[in-house]
Amino acid sequence: MRIFWRDRFSLTFALIFPLVFAGAFTLAWEEDDEPPGVAPRLTVVAAGQQGFPEHLVAALNDSGWTADERSLEGALDALGQGDIGGFLLFPAGFGTAIPTGSEARIRVVVSGKDPAETATLEGIARALAGRAQTVMLAVRGARDLATVPDAEQVSAVSRLPPLVSLEVRRTGERRYNPIDFTLPGYLTMFVFFVAALGAGSIVLERETRTLERLVSSGVRAASILAGKFLVAAGKGITQLAVLWMVGVFALSIDLGASPGAVVVVSLLFALASAAFGIMLAAMVNTMRSASSIAMLASLTLAPLGGCWWPLFIAPDWLQAIGRLTPHAWANDAFNRLMVFGASASDVVPNMLTLVAFAVVFGAIALVRFRLSPPT
Amino acid sequence: METYLQAEALAKHFDGVAAVEDVSFVIHTKEIFGLLGPNGAGKTTTIRMLSTILAPDSGDVRIGGHSAVREGDEVRKRIGVCPQELALYPELSAFDNLVFFGRMNGLPGRAAKARARALLAETGLDDRGGEAVKKYSGGMKRRVNIAIALMNRPKLLFLDEPTVGIDPQSRNKIFETVLGLRDEGTTVLYTTHYMEEADRLCDRIGIMDRGRIIAVGTPAELKRQVGDPGKTTLEEVFLRLTGRSLRD
Ligand SMILES: Nc1ncnc2c1ncn2[C@@H]1O[C@H](COP(=O)(O)OP(=O)(O)OP(=O)(O)O)[C@@H](O)[C@H]1O
Ligand SMILES: [Mg+2]
Repeated sequence: MRIFWRDRFSLTFALIFPLVFAGAFTLAWEEDDEPPGVAPRLTVVAAGQQGFPEHLVAALNDSGWTADERSLEGALDALGQGDIGGFLLFPAGFGTAIPTGSEARIRVVVSGKDPAETATLEGIARALAGRAQTVMLAVRGARDLATVPDAEQVSAVSRLPPLVSLEVRRTGERRYNPIDFTLPGYLTMFVFFVAALGAGSIVLERETRTLERLVSSGVRAASILAGKFLVAAGKGITQLAVLWMVGVFALSIDLGASPGAVVVVSLLFALASAAFGIMLAAMVNTMRSASSIAMLASLTLAPLGGCWWPLFIAPDWLQAIGRLTPHAWANDAFNRLMVFGASASDVVPNMLTLVAFAVVFGAIALVRFRLSPPT
Repeated sequence: METYLQAEALAKHFDGVAAVEDVSFVIHTKEIFGLLGPNGAGKTTTIRMLSTILAPDSGDVRIGGHSAVREGDEVRKRIGVCPQELALYPELSAFDNLVFFGRMNGLPGRAAKARARALLAETGLDDRGGEAVKKYSGGMKRRVNIAIALMNRPKLLFLDEPTVGIDPQSRNKIFETVLGLRDEGTTVLYTTHYMEEADRLCDRIGIMDRGRIIAVGTPAELKRQVGDPGKTTLEEVFLRLTGRSLRD
């Protein structure tokens, strides 16, 4: 159908936000050039060491990893020989830092030769940091609040700086760019977010009766639905186009060997997201429920679908749930194409699944869509 | 007198509750027909059925010789609908709203723009036509709402409570527009719950209450049922017919 031109503001929002997010999180991940090993008296990867927190080991085991403990020298040796691609470095005080709630640092040391391993290590470190952070916040909060739990302290706790930070170091030549991971994740999250929120504007049009007005002007209901879908898809595609451009030209992101496949996956994800937005509009009665469900869906599906951390470091059951989201299929395809060197044919199943998502969402929308508001 | 619209035994129930029941009336070509009734009388539901937005449970409507139930497309070509709500895009300018709906009516781009400009001038909005509608006063928004319905030069115009909650100046402007349209040959169906308005504007009036039309006639004919047409008001007619005041 014809063009619906509107809403320059929300488009800006859709484009600026993911960039800010991806930027901020990438900064937090940023590497530095110092050689590894300068950090004083540090112990190497996990396990048993005086008070090394058992829940972190448990977290690793949960995710299907066995903690292999080495000395720093041994680990660096192995790294130099190419036996391992990298390791996680926990500072000596890490175990005690957590119970006391003081700051701690996890370092990721990698050779950089194997981007897959690099990514994996970073993912693990990040997940661990997240977990430790929760524990530490709770510890700090409990300690601070135990005495005088007044409002000021509550707000003080909420202003705490990050307790666990990540550092990534490299020994090898080939740089792995962390934004290759973060940008696709935030991109899928925000494209979906904007498409889902778009449901609200459709519901609003139903409430203000512009949809009825279109029908009485002779526009078919199916054309209206198709038009709405195309507008939503167009927004998503614009978002993707701009963000990929910024990624490629400003952040020197690497689209991998088949940039075409990245583009196709992006397009299909935009279509699936748009279809979700229309389906949501067809299912809810009010603006309010449209926007709260959109918010909720976007914020739960994003982590489940691997937008915040790579899914392959998640436990199996979480990966299984993740596969119910379009995000997971898109992110998986992006990671494979951009980081693991996969070719277009490797991600055909992902593409087909995204098409299936779009078709299912679209079919539900078609059946359920109403032009008039319920009373 | 020629009949332009003929409604026959229209009925609509929502969840078993009758919103409109056994509504039949005719509207003659080039007249302003008023549907007068209190809140919830069924005026909007009737208009929605007449304008093909809502399918009646039973009954039919013929407009310009075509059935609204079976020949929706033919009917839609002949009608303009101004809903009770402000059915427009507040972020867009009045001009863009008009052009957009004009294009949706099937007008080519250039024709839509020309028509939009003419309508803005006619409704006294030409100097602010480029501003976003959300910045307009209530009365100006109402005028845009009506102008949109005129984009396709309808033979029959539905106006659903077009003057609710607006300033006297906009109201007078709207009256002028409606009277002008009739003089140009447009047939108008006008709903309202303001009796003075119906009295002043309408050639004939159907009084509606609880989903039914309880009386039809010229204002003078209706008043004559109660007493001297020069001295009675439609309010008194309604009171006599229903035992209730229209304002309740
Ligand atoms: N979509 C709907 N679902 C359920 N009930 C409805 C619906 N539309 C209208 N009704 C009911 O039908 C009756 C007639 O409503 P309608 O809107 O036609 O009245 P109206 O004369 O236009 O009133 P008003 O002056 O308030 O606009 C009301 O009781 C209303 O609650
Ligand atoms: Mg009404």
